[in-house]
Amino acid sequence: MSEPAAELVRAIEAIRNSAQQSASLVASKDDLEKFRIEYLARKGKVGDLFEQLKTVLPEEKPALGKELNSLRTFVDELFNSASQKIGAASAAKTSFIDLTLPGRGKPLGTRHPITQTLDDLRGIFSSMGFGVVDGPEIEDDYHNFAALNFPPDHPARDMQDTFFIEGDVLLRTHTSPVQIRVMEERKPPVRVIMPGRVYRNEAISARSYCLFHQVEGLYVDRNVTFSELKGTLVAFAREFYGRSLKYKFRPSFFPFTEPSLEMDITCFLCSGKGCRVCKQSGWLEVLGAGMVHPKVLKNVGYDPEEFTGFAFGLGVERTTMLRLGISDIRLLFENDVRFLKQF
Amino acid sequence: MRISSKWLARYVQFKISPEVLAEKLTSAGLEVEGIERLGEKYEKFVVGEVLSVRKHTNANKLTVCSVDVGSKGGKEESLLPLQIVCGAPNVAAKQKVVVGLVGATVPRNQHDPDGKPFVLSKVNIRGEESFGMICSSYELGLGNDASGIMVLDVSGKVGTPLASFLGMDDVVYEIGVTPNRPDCLCHLGIAREVAASLKKKAVQEKIVLHEDKKSSVKKAISIEVKDSKGCPRYTARLVTNVHVAPSPEWLQSYLKSCGLRPINNVVDVGNFVMYECGQPLHMFDYGKIAGKKIVVRNAAEGEKFRTLDGIDRTLSSDTLMICDAQKPVAIAGVMGGMNSEISDATAAVLIESAYFAPSGIRKTSKHLALQSDAAYRFERGTDPNGTKSAADRAAMLLAEIAGGVVNQGVVDIYPHKIKERVVRVRTTRVNKVLGTDLSSQEMKQLLSPIGITTSPGPKGTFLCTCPTYRPDLEEEIDIVEEIARLHGYSKIEDKMVSAIDFSQHVSRHSEVGTLRASLEGLGFNEIVTNSLLDLELVAPFSSDIVKIKNPISKDLSAMRPNTVFSMLQTVYHNTNLGIGDLKLYELGRTYAKAESGEPASVVKGYREREILSLCMTGRREPTGWHSGAEMVDIYDLKGVVASLLGKILLDKFQFICYDSRSPLTEQTIAIEIDGTYIGFLGKVKAELLKRFSVESDVYVSELSVRDLIQGEAGVKKFVPPSKFPSVKRDLAFILGKDVLMEAVERQIRKSSGALLRDVTLFDIFEGKPLPEGKKSFAFTLDLNSGAKTLTEEEASQVIDAVVKDVCREFNAELRSS
Repeated sequence: MSEPAAELVRAIEAIRNSAQQSASLVASKDDLEKFRIEYLARKGKVGDLFEQLKTVLPEEKPALGKELNSLRTFVDELFNSASQKIGAASAAKTSFIDLTLPGRGKPLGTRHPITQTLDDLRGIFSSMGFGVVDGPEIEDDYHNFAALNFPPDHPARDMQDTFFIEGDVLLRTHTSPVQIRVMEERKPPVRVIMPGRVYRNEAISARSYCLFHQVEGLYVDRNVTFSELKGTLVAFAREFYGRSLKYKFRPSFFPFTEPSLEMDITCFLCSGKGCRVCKQSGWLEVLGAGMVHPKVLKNVGYDPEEFTGFAFGLGVERTTMLRLGISDIRLLFENDVRFLKQF
Repeated sequence: MRISSKWLARYVQFKISPEVLAEKLTSAGLEVEGIERLGEKYEKFVVGEVLSVRKHTNANKLTVCSVDVGSKGGKEESLLPLQIVCGAPNVAAKQKVVVGLVGATVPRNQHDPDGKPFVLSKVNIRGEESFGMICSSYELGLGNDASGIMVLDVSGKVGTPLASFLGMDDVVYEIGVTPNRPDCLCHLGIAREVAASLKKKAVQEKIVLHEDKKSSVKKAISIEVKDSKGCPRYTARLVTNVHVAPSPEWLQSYLKSCGLRPINNVVDVGNFVMYECGQPLHMFDYGKIAGKKIVVRNAAEGEKFRTLDGIDRTLSSDTLMICDAQKPVAIAGVMGGMNSEISDATAAVLIESAYFAPSGIRKTSKHLALQSDAAYRFERGTDPNGTKSAADRAAMLLAEIAGGVVNQGVVDIYPHKIKERVVRVRTTRVNKVLGTDLSSQEMKQLLSPIGITTSPGPKGTFLCTCPTYRPDLEEEIDIVEEIARLHGYSKIEDKMVSAIDFSQHVSRHSEVGTLRASLEGLGFNEIVTNSLLDLELVAPFSSDIVKIKNPISKDLSAMRPNTVFSMLQTVYHNTNLGIGDLKLYELGRTYAKAESGEPASVVKGYREREILSLCMTGRREPTGWHSGAEMVDIYDLKGVVASLLGKILLDKFQFICYDSRSPLTEQTIAIEIDGTYIGFLGKVKAELLKRFSVESDVYVSELSVRDLIQGEAGVKKFVPPSKFPSVKRDLAFILGKDVLMEAVERQIRKSSGALLRDVTLFDIFEGKPLPEGKKSFAFTLDLNSGAKTLTEEEASQVIDAVVKDVCREFNAELRSS
């Protein structure tokens, strides 16, 4: 064996040993890369030995070449196993995810309970073919009272304590003036609801506030009857309060309707057994209604002989409070966000 | 209105339970709001007789009594009478006493410092059994004597329940009488309704008068009515030789049941008649009427008068007064005067029974802020044809219980008789309004029990004669209502014939719904606030404020001119509760007096606007493991507004920065649609925050909902997305600090032409290594032709043009990476 050949054999042995040792020390990607550069790169230690192969005798080349190939395979394997080792370790390190952390979602906003009730009411009446109409909150005496058959100096006006602005201008005490405005503008048939804010000059307490919301309904056409009014209210109440609802109608008085009624439903808080909310009666008053008074029809230029109609109205706050079990109306206007976020 | 069951039974017989009666009245339109059983607390208390008394062998102060309580002792019959141990010193055989039986609740415990009630049970007291208790007046709540037992009059019948012995076994109905039914403000009126529901007829008690033939009321008094419009009828009677004293027990107990305080027999008779038939009476001390003369006339403007309640009133010239020859003695229909009040010395009583016009009484009562039982009835309308019988009834009772002598005759000034109204009713019309199929015979039968008499009318009709105590029955529809309620609402079928209204008032609710849903998605909580505010608070910020003439209180004296104040109040309220991170929205109105030349919303001179208002304050996000505690700033709100407007208006709106039109904010950005101002966003000025005691920065926006919705982009047109990938290039420029982003962006758009799909600012940088006074903006440009993939060269051409133009226009340079 020539001297160069003998030297190559020794070198092969030395590198085999050192590579094995180095590979065992590889602990990171950096280490692995260093290992690759040291041994397997073009100018690495294994590559150098292939260069040295040129220095040996031709007859010695096949055997030594085989040795070198076997060294390269050996180092490749060292690299691969070292690579697998650190891969598994890093995989193990990154696979720990604390899934109990809260998500990055942002809290959604909320709709005020009054609006939710209004949305529900609008939805039901829209599906029954009622349009939606708005009216002013600053009203005149004519639309708020006189046209609705409240004679001047009549005790019926005491039913609604009024805020006055100046002259005959006032804050509407109910949404009924919108009935007049709609009928003044249009010819029958009229079939609309009129939601809105109304004002009463009453001391603020748990049970009353200086303003609240009403939804007024109006249907005027040929052949509208009291029977149809009842049917419409029952259909509405079943949809809104529940299909199993029990109800009754009582005669009542509103100057702008005749005959007038109030509708009671079984108290859904106590199922009619009697509780604090229904004052032990088992019934809850939910709305007032009636046939539009012929004088009101005349006031807007409709012929009461040709047309009849019905109107109804309900209080949104009262309805909301009953549904949600809220006992103090002021909560609805204080806007404590801890309250609002519950809905 | 309190109605006594016992009193009611004088006019109509009924054998139904209070609950059933209440139900019947309620379904007739007289809502029974409550039923009170007066004697309820004396259940299990009876009248007993002490048969024998012996000393308790083991206790000095106690006695063992044998007491007869009839058959209701709650013990087996054979064990009666009851053995009761008693500690009172005054107990003795033969006494009639009040016995509380086992199970009774004694209203007051005299051994308890608070006098709390307790329940009686069978007890063993030192070896002697005791089956109940003999009570003191203190224990029963009937007096304050706790020193011994209450000893009753010997006439008390053994076994009588205490409540009925005391005349307290009445049931009182609290009835909500609507303003159209003055006829039901008395027992006879309610009796008529009860009778109608039972298919009976109410009967008034017969009035029997024994007039003194030697006397004559016409000689004793002359009456002159100067205002027969205000006083269409004035009836008077005179009763002399009256002995003023407390009323008999039965009368007192009736009045007490109705919540009235018995005063003396004369005043009580007046109240009795009013609560019986609804006619308010006034009792004058005849001796105090100067000149034997009554004049009904208007007051002089500013005239002073002291009413019965001792208050001096200032009258106006339209106040109707009852006067004697010298002075006013009563405010007609409202309240009498001290100068003619009944006293113990009164010997002759002038009974006034008049009919006053409702609107005059109401004006006076409002003007003087003086309510009374009489005014309440007159302003609703009493029966003009019932004054005489009421006066007769009062005279009869005064003779009976006050020993009076009824003078012969009655003065009755009634120049124009008010006749019963006759209303023509068409059978078909009734059925058309109600949706029923009633025959005219059925209708007539329903109307008869409430006093409406019917007679045949022209074909298909009948005539209804309506009693004058029903002023609400004026026309056909009123009779329709009577028929409906007497027939029973429950018997009218619930029918629904669907009808759709294609109204020209299309609801814009869907757009408002989009706004709400978007805001809720962005984390905003909706609020609903009071639209009334303190005038002093809002006045400095607006000149055209709508003021409330009669506010409940100073802090609710004006209509809000903007929604920012409501927002700040809400922020303050929540901050006080420890909640400082708020995102709020409200859809509400603002109000103003319409300036000249500006069209009013509806009512002339006033304008209402629907406003969407937004408010952000506190931290940007709730603190969490992934977010810091950055506070919101103007860009947070600007982003929200941009998202919202983009949703509704697409790109039809403009932000006008550095705007000065909002007096409430700084850092203000106005929003315009085609040059029309629709609102603003900005940071609330410090001075305003201070006014509302808010300490953190608050950002608000107000947008006109109407403009927003009218400006809606409408049906969105489809733009096909490019099939080819975009080329994205980043560019960073170094610019002077005061260069506005918007200007640079506009230049980029201009220079890059049609290939630019989008430009986004992705970084702003200031400080080292940049020189002082410089900043860098970094943009991403998205280039796409839509027709093909751009080549490297085509993209570079655009970028080169942009770089050249921006550097030239803004004295900028490209920042190398």
